[in-house]
Amino acid sequence: MEEAKEGFEPKIIGFTCNWCTYAGADLAGTSRKKYPPNIRIIRLMCSGRLDPMFVLKVLLNGADGVFIGGCHPGECHYIKGNFYARRRIAALRTILKQFGLDDRVRSEWISASEGDKFARVMKEMAEDIKKLGPNPMRDKIL
Amino acid sequence: MKGTELKQEDLEGLFKGLLDKKAVDCLVLPHKVGNNVAYMLVKDGDKIESPAASAIFAPSFGVNAANIVKGWTIPERVGIVAKPCEIRAAIELIKLKQMDKESVLLISADCSGAFTNQDYADHAGEIGDWVDSAKINELKGKGIAIREACAICENRLADVGDIIIERVDGGKVLVAGITDMGDEALSSTELSLEDKDVERQAEKEKIAADAKKEKEELPKMSSVEELEEFLRDCIACKNCRDMCPVCYCKECFFEQPLGKPVGGDLLNLAELRSAIGVPTNQLLYHLTRIYHVCTTCVGCGACEDACPKDIPLTRLYPLIAKKVQEIFEYVPGEDAEEPLPFITYEEEELEDKLR
Repeated sequence: MEEAKEGFEPKIIGFTCNWCTYAGADLAGTSRKKYPPNIRIIRLMCSGRLDPMFVLKVLLNGADGVFIGGCHPGECHYIKGNFYARRRIAALRTILKQFGLDDRVRSEWISASEGDKFARVMKEMAEDIKKLGPNPMRDKIL
Repeated sequence: MKGTELKQEDLEGLFKGLLDKKAVDCLVLPHKVGNNVAYMLVKDGDKIESPAASAIFAPSFGVNAANIVKGWTIPERVGIVAKPCEIRAAIELIKLKQMDKESVLLISADCSGAFTNQDYADHAGEIGDWVDSAKINELKGKGIAIREACAICENRLADVGDIIIERVDGGKVLVAGITDMGDEALSSTELSLEDKDVERQAEKEKIAADAKKEKEELPKMSSVEELEEFLRDCIACKNCRDMCPVCYCKECFFEQPLGKPVGGDLLNLAELRSAIGVPTNQLLYHLTRIYHVCTTCVGCGACEDACPKDIPLTRLYPLIAKKVQEIFEYVPGEDAEEPLPFITYEEEELEDKLR
């Protein structure tokens, strides 16, 4: 088992907003910050566009982790999209917590200028998920 | 609040008065059908059966009455006489814009907890029409228990809606309006109203404390594997959704191609995952539904009653919804003017709940 974890490369699905976190990821790239290549980013126009069902669906489909990124509260391109997103994510995490799934989900506010933060969060998250091991849902017949 | 004390047998006079004086155009209220209790929609006051009180306080739960008036957007006003959980669901539906506040008159009646429709019909003689907590404990000793949703319910006293019907000492009832609409409706019936203030805080706290104790004794799930096992018998009939008073989408996601794949879509999924369970999406369905009702779930337990496979859904929906409602300090069905948690926000909040 430990051995399997050693060679395990987690698949992380990232939902990032177009204006801040996606631009932050872009900055991390253009400024040649190194971070693990485990994340697959899905760009949304706003973190408020995130239907919590997206997160449930990717987790049940076997993603090892889910990352949700948005503008810092108060800095949303659409003024208040991330305020609504924050309430939804809080509710979703409360539900996920009941089933021990919240460890696989991480949400962060990352602005367009925070390439450093994006790279750091990615690194931390890849390590955390590696410790957790693969999502048991991956091989289940659901 | 303004109200009056009535004898139980005067209740049908009150309902007749509401209809005759056009305070409401029609009335949804329970009536006796053989041994059991069901709802009827009454236009003519003469059809109200006597004694009305025996059906109103009968501890039987069949369908959530809010479901009957869901989508009531016509100007004709309907009155609903029901248990507090049903009135709370109706208030959530008003907030969800599924009915018009002006066209429903909500009348809540005290409840001590209810039996399933079937249990009540089977033991109607023993249970009777008017139970209190002592009687419920006595029946529990005989193996006739109230529904799990009722055992963990903290809001059994009538304190929501436009008009409340409280049970007071001596087998009497106190009828009082708690909103302007309720006051207007009551005064139109020519009852002599006076200022009434009944202090029930102690009783309320006792009910809540007992309910919390019951809740702690329920088995809890802690992993998704346990949830899978819990839902093992689910046949994805979605009756829990259909009978849920606060599930209201015109077209549910799980009736659409992505939520309910058929034919080629189903085959593609099987190819993607090598094998999939069919009917599909039970886990996703229930997890998504928990999220959809997490702020509005009134904990009435209609989902559990509706389940043909007897899955104890009270341990899933109301229990988890309550946890979400706690983080927003929200109690569903308190006040039709209070915004739903997901359509409002504070600029600084909840950061500790995000990681």
